[in-house]
Amino acid sequence: MAVPDIRRGTAADDQRRPGERLRAVIRTRVFLLVSLVAVLVAMYLAGLAAGAGGLRLLALTAWGLMLGGVIALGSIGLSLVYGVMKFPNFSHGALVTLGAYVSFSVMHLLPPGSTLRPLSFGYEFLVALVVAMPVVGLVALAIDRVVYRRLRRTGAHLVFFAMASLAMAFFLRSLIYLIWGPDFHFYYPGQANPALQLPLGIRIRADQLFILALAFVLVGAVYGLLARTRLGKAMRATADNPDLAQIRGIDTERVIAWTWMLGGGLAAAGGVMYGLSSQLRPEMGFWLLLPMFAASIMGGIGNPQGALLAALIIGIAHQVSTSFLDPTYGPAVAFVLMVLTLLIRPQGLLGRTEG
Amino acid sequence: MPLLEAEGITAGYGDMEILHDVDLRVEEGEIVSLIGPNGAGKSTLMKTVFGLLRPRAGTILYRGRPIHGRKPHEIVTLGLCYVPQVANVFVTLTVEENLDMGGYLLDERELPRRRERVYDFFPKLRERRRQRAGKMSGGERQMVAMGSALMLEPDLLLLDEPSAGLSPRLVEEIFDNIRRINAAGLAVLMVEQNARKSLEMAHRGYVLANGANRQDGTGQALLADPDVARLYLGG
Repeated sequence: MAVPDIRRGTAADDQRRPGERLRAVIRTRVFLLVSLVAVLVAMYLAGLAAGAGGLRLLALTAWGLMLGGVIALGSIGLSLVYGVMKFPNFSHGALVTLGAYVSFSVMHLLPPGSTLRPLSFGYEFLVALVVAMPVVGLVALAIDRVVYRRLRRTGAHLVFFAMASLAMAFFLRSLIYLIWGPDFHFYYPGQANPALQLPLGIRIRADQLFILALAFVLVGAVYGLLARTRLGKAMRATADNPDLAQIRGIDTERVIAWTWMLGGGLAAAGGVMYGLSSQLRPEMGFWLLLPMFAASIMGGIGNPQGALLAALIIGIAHQVSTSFLDPTYGPAVAFVLMVLTLLIRPQGLLGRTEG
Repeated sequence: MPLLEAEGITAGYGDMEILHDVDLRVEEGEIVSLIGPNGAGKSTLMKTVFGLLRPRAGTILYRGRPIHGRKPHEIVTLGLCYVPQVANVFVTLTVEENLDMGGYLLDERELPRRRERVYDFFPKLRERRRQRAGKMSGGERQMVAMGSALMLEPDLLLLDEPSAGLSPRLVEEIFDNIRRINAAGLAVLMVEQNARKSLEMAHRGYVLANGANRQDGTGQALLADPDVARLYLGG
């Protein structure tokens, strides 16, 4: 499936100027991947130079993979919404937060069960996760019905969609403050989650493995949906050419509704996982917005595998950078990687060139 | 009863009225060609028939049932399919996925059989079925677009400038395909820049000018008409 961007041909019949040839090489996804990996390697070296030991870097990598899983879940929804409706949804971070809080409330409605060792949570957490996903999906759908669908009907410019989504981000955040208050919450306050000892001295918490595994499973499911099912193909067709999709008999409003359900559900899963790994704060999703945008751009808009790959790179870079940088610079790391991608290959790691 | 009958169609975009009181009729199994200068409203008329544009006045009947004001995804279920002039394939989807989208409204178990029929019609597409439509040439894309429209086995095919931007050899091939499609029993309503060629093939034709009916008649009659020849067929 990977189509090389360099046109085939021997050097002798290559009539292009050297500059053009060089640009063609730079634009390939291999070059982009190599560049991103080079940045990662440089970060590890900087970490070692700053005095962080190998074990510390390994632990940071494990945290980074988990954070990457969380980012991936959020960025897929962002990517799908952008693909189908062509606007950056700034309220996606708020959906992530909402997912975490909804599951928090659902969990407390259920009788607490015993902890599923070696994980740190019981069955009620999993039930709450499964409930929160469709609930947030429905909230996203309701927002679309009330706000974005009206804009679509009036044929509004995309800037209005983006601004409306920013407004919805503030609205949702205020709603979260109103319902759950400004205080931090924990799913399981005061409960320790000891790390598992793996070979080679790697210490990792079972929760982290769970988060990563869940991200992979959900990304795989989304990929299967897009590649194999009728709905998935209709979503890709609508993203590709909405007018033609209608001509072919696709009810694009229904496709849009499912895009919100799916994007909202995945955002909720990301929020629940993020809450499990740290704590619940009303701003949690807002701070994920930049890495999520970076991952969906780096991976290639509308491409779930690309979003996962990019999110893992961003997650690792984010965590490893703390070994030599103040942690408050974390979000800037995602930004640097995104800018690098835009300079080298704007369509992203697995994105495709049109035509 | 005519297959398609449009009467008194007035339509346009925003404040601009493009079609004024236009009439059009397509009988079963006919090839009808719409010709006229650029900006005459030919494509607008096609879009209005297919529900992409809501007429401000007039009626459009398909097999005697009104279809004006209905959405394309409803109209397509009735047996009309439309191939737009540009952007008529999903460039990021493979040929096979494009055909599946053409048959989106069908039961999924029905798709393989329909695909085979399209491949029998356009054998080239079978060889290329795993290729992305965006990587194909203009002529091949036109085949994908027509093939997708044929998936629903419609009774009437609306073609908007099927030969636009193609080389003379490919134009010949596309016209050949249209004849074969028509021979299989489908009525075709087409807009063509290549007016002489399309009138030679058409059973009947309509000349549109400034958004209004100028003349109509059999393809042969229009070809023989000195006014039509002078004004619209380049002498």
